[in-house]
Amino acid sequence: MSRKKITYTVPRMGYTYAAFESFFKILGYDVIIPEPTNTETIKEGVSNSPEYMCFPFKILLGQFERVLEKNPDRYFKVVSLESYGPCRFGYYSPLYYKILRDKGFTNFEIVNIEGIYPPLYKGIPRFFKKLVKLTGWHAPWTVVKAFVIAGWKVYALEQLEKKLYHLIPREKVTGSTEKIFNAAVERIRHAPNKVKAIKKILNEELEKMENNPHVERDDLPKIGLVGEAYILMDYSNNLDIEKKLAYMGVDVDRSLRVTNWTLDRLIKAKSHKAHMLEVNKGYLDFFIGGDGQESIMNTILYKKAGYDGVIQAQPFGCLPETAAKEILTKVSEDYDIPVLSLAFDEQTGEAGFVTRLEAFVDMIKSRRQMKEEKKESVTVEN
Amino acid sequence: MKIGIPRALYFYVYYPMWYGFFSSLGHEMKLSIPTNKEIINLGVSHSVDDICISVKVFHGHVKYLLNKDVDFVFVPRIASEEKYKYTCPKLAALPDLMKSAFVSDAGRILTATFYTRQGDKPIIEAFEEIGRQLGDPEEKVKRATKEGIKYQNLATKALRSGHTFLDIVKNIKNLEELIKRPVEKKRYTVALAGFPYDVYDTFTNGDVISKLEDSGVGIVTTDMLDPKVYKHYSKYMIKDLFWYQANAAAKGGMYYIDSPDIDGIISISSFNCGISSIYQKLLDLYSKEIGKPVMHIIVDEQTGDAGLATRIEAFIDLIRVKRGDGLVSQENNLHGTENGVHVRSV
Ligand code: SF4
Ligand code: SF4
Repeated sequence: MSRKKITYTVPRMGYTYAAFESFFKILGYDVIIPEPTNTETIKEGVSNSPEYMCFPFKILLGQFERVLEKNPDRYFKVVSLESYGPCRFGYYSPLYYKILRDKGFTNFEIVNIEGIYPPLYKGIPRFFKKLVKLTGWHAPWTVVKAFVIAGWKVYALEQLEKKLYHLIPREKVTGSTEKIFNAAVERIRHAPNKVKAIKKILNEELEKMENNPHVERDDLPKIGLVGEAYILMDYSNNLDIEKKLAYMGVDVDRSLRVTNWTLDRLIKAKSHKAHMLEVNKGYLDFFIGGDGQESIMNTILYKKAGYDGVIQAQPFGCLPETAAKEILTKVSEDYDIPVLSLAFDEQTGEAGFVTRLEAFVDMIKSRRQMKEEKKESVTVEN
Repeated sequence: MKIGIPRALYFYVYYPMWYGFFSSLGHEMKLSIPTNKEIINLGVSHSVDDICISVKVFHGHVKYLLNKDVDFVFVPRIASEEKYKYTCPKLAALPDLMKSAFVSDAGRILTATFYTRQGDKPIIEAFEEIGRQLGDPEEKVKRATKEGIKYQNLATKALRSGHTFLDIVKNIKNLEELIKRPVEKKRYTVALAGFPYDVYDTFTNGDVISKLEDSGVGIVTTDMLDPKVYKHYSKYMIKDLFWYQANAAAKGGMYYIDSPDIDGIISISSFNCGISSIYQKLLDLYSKEIGKPVMHIIVDEQTGDAGLATRIEAFIDLIRVKRGDGLVSQENNLHGTENGVHVRSV
């Protein structure tokens, strides 16, 4: 192997990129985070991918390509997170490799991190081999530290994000919370690599946001977001759907976050699966991979938690999500909860997207009103 | 009892097994008619629009059968066709999809979860489940399961000896005889790579098989191959795909690309199928290295017959040129169409 200095690049996942960045920095590497998804990266990715390949694949290919292109004098380890599951997710990295090589790039290798898969006697050693390939040889405590700090940063960023979307529909001056939030993300990103420091910054920033003038209220329409993880978790992929909904005066909640996703997949996998099968009984009785089962389960759970509507965000043609979409039509009827399925691809335009969101929000609002009126008329009759 | 069998998706892999099982139990089987315009329309109107055409067509076949006087429509869940490998999420969710699409008939969907090519045990369990739902005595179900497995093994033998699955369906009662029947070797042979349901649904794919055969070209398909022969292509692929059928199409396709007696490869896949886009890319990259023509046909609601015929003729001409035979001459151009003339002038 060449002794060139290695630079890492990782998929960008919403604001949590700051955490991944710290991870590699603690290990002593350079790291370049791809730019947020934009028309340029999408164009690159789309033109080099097979036509019906997943949209997330195209986005990522485009992002990586731009990183390699802009830094021809560096040697990259491209980190690909994937699973060996029934989804195409499991075959992303061989395709990146082949396509990027076919395009003439040589300044990279791909490190794919996948979960442990059967047979276990092969899977477990393979997993650790990959892990070593990812981090290189380091003192174990350095690696542990990198994980802990990155984990804390992810957590902190998610807390800030939650707070942001809670406050936007309640703030007195439109846009004021977002300003504080943006500064907070930067602070977390550059926070010293100490858990205490991260905690302190988090608390300070949460307080700042809390102190921004706003009116607490709990009568806003509530919308839950379900769908495919990468579209859902990265704001630049979903055209900032959460923020848009928040500015439309909606209490919005996203079902998948890096923290719960990782917990459910890696640590609590078994109980998570059992829980899904139980909730989905009669709708989807089988493991289908991707996030399709989660989409159905979370729609049902949102209804039970009193939400007024659910939006399913999925990449166009996504295998498990299209299956889920068809089943969701039935769930929506049985549980009486409106579900809007939005498919994202390179043609999704801002304007049409906003119109559809607005129409859905209007519909939810008028449904709420109708329910209120009904309630009132019932009490009057009594 | 009368059991409807949709002529779509895994019908084109496991029909012999269903046939052996149900006929041994003495149930009457009703096959849906081969896909036609009506079936496609039925399917399109009962499914969500961004789902792949193969699954849409399946909706059509199920609806067609539900409209007839059958007691059950058989929608097996083929969960896995190889150890540690699963099927496409839409196939794994197939019975659930059908129950959602045809809510009032959900009780008429007969289903069980099958794990195939992993020994007889999981198959026996799945058939036991079906036997219970139909209320058949255990002993009979056991015997019927054996019959099913026997038919499936015969069909595999027939495939390995070069007969297409369509021949198998036609000769389901005389598989033993079919196995012995030799397959005529033609001057040119084209390999069809793809999922069996895309390769064999003659309506949706514009009848590629007959078009080739009419032009005097012999065909082989990827499901004729024993997976053992293409195992080593895993290395080229870096990592195996997660679906048995996709591996078969990819590796089988590469195997045919490398076979000296195969003149060209046509891959057939379904519009909006994300899985085939992967193996198509692999075949493209691989054939680029080897230098054998590969053509892709992507099936949609209206695979144009005219356009397709032109493309196939151009492909045949390409093969002829590669063999040094020159272009199709007017006399033996069986179609003798203007398209043929047009191709010649290229
Ligand atoms: S979940 Fe959807 S987008 Fe993700 S790999 Fe599977 S098909 Fe592709
Ligand atoms: S493999 Fe492709 S064609 Fe088959 S069901 Fe899945 S998406 Fe459809």
